[in-house]
Amino acid sequence: MQTKFSRTQKFFMMNPFIQFVRFIILSIKILIIVAGGHGGTRRV
Amino acid sequence: MSKVVVLGAGISGHVAASHLRRKLGKNHEVLVVSPNSNYQWVPSNIWVGIGRMKSSSVLFPLKPLYQRKNIGYLQSKVIQFHPEGDLEINKPFVLVESVEESSKGKLEKITYDYLINATGPKLNFEATEGLYPGKNKTFSVCTYNHADHAWENLLKLIGEMKNGKNVSILIGTGHSKATCQGAAFEYILNVEQELRRHKVRDKATITWISNENELGDFGMDGMLLSYGGKQIRSSEMVEMVFSERSIKWIVGAGVYKIEDGVAYYENLAGEYKTEFFDFAMLIPSFSGHGFKAYNKLNIEITEQLFNGFMLVDADYTSKPYEQWKVTDWPETYQNPNFSNIFAPGIAFAPPHSISKPRISPNGREIFPTPPRTGMPSGISAKLVADNIIDLINDPKTTLKHKGSLGNMGAACIASAGYGLMEGSGISITTFPIVPDFEKYPTTHGRSIKKTFGEIGLAGHWLKLALHHAFLYKAKMRPFWWLIPE
Repeated sequence: MQTKFSRTQKFFMMNPFIQFVRFIILSIKILIIVAGGHGGTRRV
Repeated sequence: MSKVVVLGAGISGHVAASHLRRKLGKNHEVLVVSPNSNYQWVPSNIWVGIGRMKSSSVLFPLKPLYQRKNIGYLQSKVIQFHPEGDLEINKPFVLVESVEESSKGKLEKITYDYLINATGPKLNFEATEGLYPGKNKTFSVCTYNHADHAWENLLKLIGEMKNGKNVSILIGTGHSKATCQGAAFEYILNVEQELRRHKVRDKATITWISNENELGDFGMDGMLLSYGGKQIRSSEMVEMVFSERSIKWIVGAGVYKIEDGVAYYENLAGEYKTEFFDFAMLIPSFSGHGFKAYNKLNIEITEQLFNGFMLVDADYTSKPYEQWKVTDWPETYQNPNFSNIFAPGIAFAPPHSISKPRISPNGREIFPTPPRTGMPSGISAKLVADNIIDLINDPKTTLKHKGSLGNMGAACIASAGYGLMEGSGISITTFPIVPDFEKYPTTHGRSIKKTFGEIGLAGHWLKLALHHAFLYKAKMRPFWWLIPE
């Protein structure tokens, strides 16, 4: 198992340009999941 | 005309009251009863606790907003529930006690047609001997006052560290069955980053202590999630973050006593141990408020409404972990004995924990109780409001709006450090919150497409954006209702 982040991973995590794109994608993904609906689990 | 009384003005109570007011005609009354004069956006208390945000930025007074929006407001705390009324009043009511300066201690019977109990949890510091914010070098970030106090003391400690003192910092859970590990997780990462910012990180040993069986459980039994194109366990993700930040960890720890700078705990192996600290932030256990309920003849019927928290449409049958099902979890948050009472958010009694229960050889239960963060609190409050509106319009209707934690997603955006360019966040999105092992048997009960993790600056920006968006929504500014819960 990987125990620490690689230099490349750290670069991706903190690069503002890459992270701006990630911010847009992440916001949309979360919105889809959260606003995508909810409901019951029991059959009626 | 109907009267809806909302007890509590936290995330859940405020969401319910605001949606009710927006959708109900002016001939219907919405009344909020809360002992708090301010609304607070609790998730941002983390930043108050590291001095990067003023407490005034996470709160606003409720009274002027409710006056403007035609929502009734009483600064009182509920004491008793009388769902059948009494011999004097032939209508259900709650007995409340004023906490407002001008009328402090005044008792009043508040009648209702529909009641929303959104009183949240009691921060049960008493359950752990010696644990109290500001006492024995322990602090809390559960409220903005606690967070202010924590920062004052952390700042003093940073001053001592600058003068060469080596210190130990302990952050995590302060009870063997505490929940809300996410808040402590955020705080430990933010404190670690602040120490680096103040150039004193080398003077501190930072330790995570938790009742989780393994890192990344978060009271949700851990997760299998997609991260960077791979599938990893949440424990691996958190371990990487802690290793990166040189944070030590103790898991399976049931803290049972605090003395001045010492935490006593028992672990899952049954060993009794101690951990020394100069500053600690330990989340207390949550409990119900100990409300009592009475019938028309004033005979106590508390067990029809509460088992600590409020009983709702969950399956409370006691059964072993292997037989737990996602269908045990409530869908409408309606009390089974009084159909005009609902309990969304944290006020409802969960049927059981989400994490697997574990007991030490000495009989101490050491595992997290279920977390219920802002997002499910808001969603459950909104669906309760929608069902009440339907019932007001047609009292014979069945409840159409449903939202089980077993069929609902949640995004946990954990701050891992503050700063526009140097901040960081760990975003963990899960679907569903309560694992459904029948629907998703190979991915630990969750959809792997909708359960993912992300670490980086974007997470911090997102958390900051949510701070502003949800305060905008809570202040009921134009088109506030377009922002989802």
